Amino acid sequence: MHIDKHQDVIAACRFCFMCRHLDPIGNVTFQEADTPRGRALILDKVRMDNENLKNNDFIATVYRSALSGANRYHCVSHYDEVGLVLAARKDIVEAGLVPEKVKALAEKLSGATFTVKGKGDVLYYGEHAKLYSGCKTLSGGDPGKALETLGFAGESQKVFDKFKKAVAASRCKTLIVAEPSAYDFLKDKLDGIKVVHCSECLLSAKLKAGRARKAFYLESDFLKNYDGNLASPRQLLAQCGYKLVPFGTNSEESYSVGEGAVVFDELNPELCEKLCRRVCELADNLKNDLFITPSRYVKATLTKYNPQIRIVTLEEAVAQRKDQ
Amino acid sequence: MIPPNSYLYEMIRSELSWVVGDDHVQTGDSDKLGHSIDYYWVPEVWHDRGQKLPPPDFVVYPASAREVSEILKIANTHNIPVVPWGGGSGSQGGALPIYGGIVMDMKRMNKVLNIDPISMTATAETGINTQHLEWAIEKAGYSTMHFPASIACATLGGFIANRGTGVLSTKYGKIEDMVMTLEVVTPAGEIINTLPVPRHASGPDLTQLFLGSEGTLGVVTKATIKIHPIPESRKFHAFLFKTMHDAMGAGAKIMTSRLRPCVIRLYDELETARLIKRVLGIDKQGAYLVFGFDGPAKNVDLELEQACAICREKEHEDLGTEMGQAWWDHRYKFFYPPYMFHLPQAFGTLDTVATFANIEKVYWAMKNTIRENFPQAAFIGHFSHWYEWGCMLYARFIIEEPPKDPREAVALYNKIWDMAIRAAIKEGGVINEHHGVGLKLGRIMKELYGPAFKVLEDIKKVLDPNNIMNPGKMGFRAKGI
Repeated sequence: MHIDKHQDVIAACRFCFMCRHLDPIGNVTFQEADTPRGRALILDKVRMDNENLKNNDFIATVYRSALSGANRYHCVSHYDEVGLVLAARKDIVEAGLVPEKVKALAEKLSGATFTVKGKGDVLYYGEHAKLYSGCKTLSGGDPGKALETLGFAGESQKVFDKFKKAVAASRCKTLIVAEPSAYDFLKDKLDGIKVVHCSECLLSAKLKAGRARKAFYLESDFLKNYDGNLASPRQLLAQCGYKLVPFGTNSEESYSVGEGAVVFDELNPELCEKLCRRVCELADNLKNDLFITPSRYVKATLTKYNPQIRIVTLEEAVAQRKDQ
Repeated sequence: MIPPNSYLYEMIRSELSWVVGDDHVQTGDSDKLGHSIDYYWVPEVWHDRGQKLPPPDFVVYPASAREVSEILKIANTHNIPVVPWGGGSGSQGGALPIYGGIVMDMKRMNKVLNIDPISMTATAETGINTQHLEWAIEKAGYSTMHFPASIACATLGGFIANRGTGVLSTKYGKIEDMVMTLEVVTPAGEIINTLPVPRHASGPDLTQLFLGSEGTLGVVTKATIKIHPIPESRKFHAFLFKTMHDAMGAGAKIMTSRLRPCVIRLYDELETARLIKRVLGIDKQGAYLVFGFDGPAKNVDLELEQACAICREKEHEDLGTEMGQAWWDHRYKFFYPPYMFHLPQAFGTLDTVATFANIEKVYWAMKNTIRENFPQAAFIGHFSHWYEWGCMLYARFIIEEPPKDPREAVALYNKIWDMAIRAAIKEGGVINEHHGVGLKLGRIMKELYGPAFKVLEDIKKVLDPNNIMNPGKMGFRAKGI
């Protein structure tokens, strides 16, 4: 089983409470099961007796995880509990035990196709091509990350192969990626292609600062907790004149409302709504404050459940400054 | 345990869901498993060896004192046990549902209700995670000054239930010193409040009665605690002494000279060699002593210098402020895997408190008991919460390879506790200082208290005649007895 490769994580997390305060799901369901300890305990039961994988309640718990990297980032030993849950999802898929709604979502994601348009030496994969002059654009669905998080490794690879083919056809050697989940997925996967996050690219363009403006930056789970706290988004926003104010009560919690699970809102809308509600409750002045997120997913979900929120993506924030 | 396919089970489940809503009555295996194991070694090893743990029948998440009250009334009607659960990180088995019944998980009651900057107090629901509480108080510009290793694991109610403490207890006190007043739901379901201030002459102190009652006398639903300004300065200093005895002398003198450190920690020679080396990288022989002061910068410098002068009276190595600060910076690291002891090791914290006159005798009594009777066990200790009159001994035994058979392992474990704690009590030690009694030490309560324990038993009988509240814990009678 895939979870067997993560026995060190099971052993470390099953009786450890030290990061429980950071589990986004545990913080809204309050269930012991929805913490790294709770999940490690049930997967320990599965390790002891594989028949336990058939327990529907265990399966539901595994798919409730938001795959936030906040706990792993916090842990002094950085035990990869997210990796353990992903392994369990692969085991569930391979055992044919995947819940119907997960299966339906996977089928939808498997149909992704990719097209390249325009002229240029650099390929841009995102929604704001206007920000990048002289670039070709690559469009389509998720490049395979979402399927990977659902446990569909084979299907993820097939979608990624299609993506890779499109990149190869573009003949570009640099790929700019906007969505943090896609960036995390692609950054080490494309041989011979330099993959950069859009913030790194825009930062190097040395944009002019606009009038100072206060904003709350909602960290991306991927950029902060998966990819070692990428500094470029904050630097870019500062360069553009945004005065970033700390959000919430601390810098450790993930406020990215399920971003780590990529399609979390489609999978667990009720939980996603709770995550969004929690973010809004922590806001000082929801209607007047400006929020910036690097993730389109975060913007879309927060807006869906709280239409009054004023939130823009990182690229939109930069575009607004350029337009001034 | 109530058979899950019985109509009685469904009757009780539906009654509970009328109170808190369907979503807040959990009966699934995932959540039951999480509530079957706390931080006590016995259920951990039981799970590890594939044994079945007693699960709760229902895990219920109330959102208000009124809901808590209604749940207790249902439990009284059906005469089923109720075990309050905070973070579940207690080490004494106090929150284990040993007779099934209802685990009342308090984490939905997690609001900070008020911060009073005039009186410097904060009021919160007791299900709040203490790290979340501290963050909220810090955002308002203050601090609880409650920094236990389990700050991120436990709830405010958990600390209240077990008379918990934090690293800065020497200056800011244990939780019982921090609490102003409590809202409690009695076992009969009545919602009561204790007096609003902790100093009065209006009879015995009800607040203190519920502090440390481990969910046996009711459910604490709300607490007002003291808060503090963020200190202008906080500094640490560390020394290495040739012997633990010398270090103890220095630490005791700092306290009895009435300096006010916020923290003192003294590690015996073996723990210095094992843990201080591993976590802080200080590879030296001797006993490591660290202390700190906080407050106005001038006061801190003055008191720190006086404490250092006391330490310099004995043979010592001055490790300086850097090695003191390193300890503060890494103070929680000791409790993360793999630094914390873990299975397959057997380990236990023989938490004991005594006066300065007795504390070393307690240390040696426990150490010798373990050395003579359990040669397979190592004994290490540090002295971690210091008062004007004495301090707490955080002694630990560790067995690298306990018996494979879980019954044999638990029997051995229990025997070590029994003998070591009885040896400590004989020398004037009290079990314990901040972990609580729970399931682990209940059997020793009568011996510890003597005839006075009957007073506690009578209070329990009056408040909880049906014995629904956390039966079998803290030395009180088991369910059905």
